[in-house]
Amino acid sequence: MDTLEECLRQVYDPELGINIVDLGLVYGINAQDGHVQVRMTLTTPGCPMHDMITSGVERALKELPEVQSVQVDIIWQPAWSPAQMSDSAKQQLGYI
Amino acid sequence: MFRLPFLFIITGMISFVLFQLLTLLDLASWMGDHPRNPTGWFRIHLLVLGWGTMIAMGAVYQLIHVVLQSKIYSQKLGFTHYGFFAIGTTGLLLGFHNTNVIWIAGFASIAFIGIILFAWNMGVTLLRASQWNTVTISTACSVIYLTLTGLTGMAMGLNFHFNQWGSFHDQLFGAHLWFGALGWFGLLITGISYKMLPMFYLSHGFPTYTQRIIIILWNAGVLSGAISFLLDWHAFMKWLGLLFIVLAFMVYNIHISHIYIYRHKPHPGNGIIWTIRSARTLMVIGVISLILFPVFPGHMYKTNIIMILGWIYLWGWVAITILGYLSKIVPFLWWTHKYGPQVGKKRIPTMAELIDDRYVQYGLLVIVFSLIVLLCGLGWSLPYLIAFGGSSLALSSLMYISLVIRVFTR
Repeated sequence: MDTLEECLRQVYDPELGINIVDLGLVYGINAQDGHVQVRMTLTTPGCPMHDMITSGVERALKELPEVQSVQVDIIWQPAWSPAQMSDSAKQQLGYI
Repeated sequence: MFRLPFLFIITGMISFVLFQLLTLLDLASWMGDHPRNPTGWFRIHLLVLGWGTMIAMGAVYQLIHVVLQSKIYSQKLGFTHYGFFAIGTTGLLLGFHNTNVIWIAGFASIAFIGIILFAWNMGVTLLRASQWNTVTISTACSVIYLTLTGLTGMAMGLNFHFNQWGSFHDQLFGAHLWFGALGWFGLLITGISYKMLPMFYLSHGFPTYTQRIIIILWNAGVLSGAISFLLDWHAFMKWLGLLFIVLAFMVYNIHISHIYIYRHKPHPGNGIIWTIRSARTLMVIGVISLILFPVFPGHMYKTNIIMILGWIYLWGWVAITILGYLSKIVPFLWWTHKYGPQVGKKRIPTMAELIDDRYVQYGLLVIVFSLIVLLCGLGWSLPYLIAFGGSSLALSSLMYISLVIRVFTR
């Protein structure tokens, strides 16, 4: 599971320059028999990066040899809040 | 969804470059003349139709499908709209340039068909998605006002040829300006900003009730002002329209402050900071004008004062906002096209790396300085200051837009 999470750190929000794991967008990763399901959110509904980020997640995970299929579920509850960001992300945004 | 907004934005940029080059060639002398002459019509329409409206339509095509998370009704209709609008606008501009009334009437009608197709495409897209929020309502209202701008414009174009309406032409002219400048550009910019500004500031949890107040006040201002022009009501009714708009703009500025207070990203980019500065400045000028109109009616209704206020609104707010947003929209469009398919595969540049924000700052600073010089020249009727300010405005605008165009090489 750590490998999968590490892999998702390659997917960046291009406006903020922060990866989606540190941004706190990823709510859960389930892996079973080569099938990976990612439950995640975006910083705001109707985010222009919606398609880019979801297809980026699929591409990043499919690069791993043990992954055969990927399903990305975008959910809006619980809504993303800045408190979900890691310290590293907060530092990068310049407010800690 | 790349080619359609790209086509509009590129065409808009070409018009912008042409406008600035022509201004440079005559050292901005046209800016000091009364705008109601063929050269003035040509230049102003090159700026507001060829540039502002082209860019705005491209931005709507780019934004509306992401806001709705569904495709637009018809991309094919979008390209047809582009064809009619681009041909109509080009012919109309040539008609103004050559003072050819048949061309003005004919191509105004073709441009209007383009606007109708745009309104149809957006209308069906919005009705199908049925997601009514402040962004979609504001956008829908702005498209309705664009249609009314086109309708009144086309009517004036036809009247140039058939010459049947006498003084009603001037009433149409007032409504045409009001619908276009305040209705179309105003509601579109504020509506898009409800989505964009919080994104650039990573703002969360801010109050949104202000957005509804802005929409109500802004529509009240556009409708009361335009109707009072159309029916030739007393100047007080036009002032009342201005009052609603200024109040809406004050609430808009409060809304911006809310977004700022609840921000999680300290710096949204210099382009966005300048759009906010321009909104703050326009609010102050709006309030001062609102007070001065009834106090000094003899002075405030003079042509050069109206021209200065027009330039402050169109260049000081509409154009600065579009230029500021372009520093974000173009990198987004290009990044999505070029780097989007590589997300998750390898390390790719961020959008901020596609444009140097320091130069955005310098560019907009010189543009604003030049505009102030130009306005001083217009205010005191000093041709050399108009020539210096106008030429400097054109030159700095060319340098700024070349900075934005360079994004396509990254």
